[in-house]
Amino acid sequence: MVVSSEGERRDRFEALVADVYDPLQRYIRRRAAADEAGDVLSDVLLTLWRRLDDVPEGSVLPWSYGVARRTVSNHRRAASRHLKLVERLETERPPVVDDDPSGQMEDPALADALAGLPAADQEILRLWAWEQLEPREIALSLGSTANAVSLRLSRARKKLADAMTRQDPTSPGHIGDETAEENRR
Amino acid sequence: MTDQLRKRLARLDPMHPGVDTEPPSRELLEGIMSTPVVEQPETGPEQKSNRWLVGIAAAAALVLAVGGVIALTGGGTDPVASGPPLELTAAGGDPMAMCIVFSVEELAKAPIAFEGTATAMEGDTVTLDVDHWFKGGDASQVILNAPQGMEALIASIPFEVGGQYLITAYDGNVNYCGFSGESTPELRSAYEQAFGA
Repeated sequence: MVVSSEGERRDRFEALVADVYDPLQRYIRRRAAADEAGDVLSDVLLTLWRRLDDVPEGSVLPWSYGVARRTVSNHRRAASRHLKLVERLETERPPVVDDDPSGQMEDPALADALAGLPAADQEILRLWAWEQLEPREIALSLGSTANAVSLRLSRARKKLADAMTRQDPTSPGHIGDETAEENRR
Repeated sequence: MTDQLRKRLARLDPMHPGVDTEPPSRELLEGIMSTPVVEQPETGPEQKSNRWLVGIAAAAALVLAVGGVIALTGGGTDPVASGPPLELTAAGGDPMAMCIVFSVEELAKAPIAFEGTATAMEGDTVTLDVDHWFKGGDASQVILNAPQGMEALIASIPFEVGGQYLITAYDGNVNYCGFSGESTPELRSAYEQAFGA
């Protein structure tokens, strides 16, 4: 939707912020270093302001996640230019919240299996389970297609199941095997 | 079973709904809304780190460092699209050709390096969705053209739809001899050492 007057533009932006600020903040704090999250969020909001006319109605949040993904990635690239390799790898890891409010300590096997997957597989599983996006929404945020995302999600779940089985061969392996058709919701 | 996995993964979320978030400050929003909206020219990857200074109407000036904004202002509704797909030639490795011995140092010399998932194999082309650019581009898709046919190509790299691959290229040509292949932990580790994560 193209916004005509400045007042209308401000109103629409404020309404957009009311809708996406909290989930965007969560998305960024899951993926960016704690001391960077505020800057990243500001950058994302500025991009939303500048591209307000491009925000697709009905898919605002997945689209905004796409902007956030790109911005987090750019911040990482900028940071990596100044860091040694070991430090760079450290920045790629998901942030660890001090008091660990997550269940990572309760389900270390799954946390380890997830951490051992390629970054792209981890990300698609996070978008699915943490952001609670469906394949078509993940596709929008990644700039891909729903079919491709369904395939990738299915493969990522299979890899996660295999990793869990490798950790404990007595556990049932197929914790998430499913056809791409079932994913396409 | 899938729902169970989703719930188990959700319990790993460090920012689950029980964790508090901060509301946006009025100063921040006013600062952003005072930024002029102007079309920006298309820029290359190196310009992504440009910073925009954002003045605010409040007494204190707020400076926002904006990485990547320029690359996102090119119009369209795709938040991550960054230009047309990159096309590379993937002739397949010549079994008689001399290969340079694989090393991270040699790998690091490649001007193009990315990780991608094969989403289509039609005729003599393989389409990859880029999952991660290590070096040399920011297109969201790469198309590999196989002038010697798909058979020759998959003899070198066993592409299949849904598979994930690490690819390097010189002069528009996919590099073989172990420098490109299916994404394995070992090859990915070499890419991360060569190009940084």
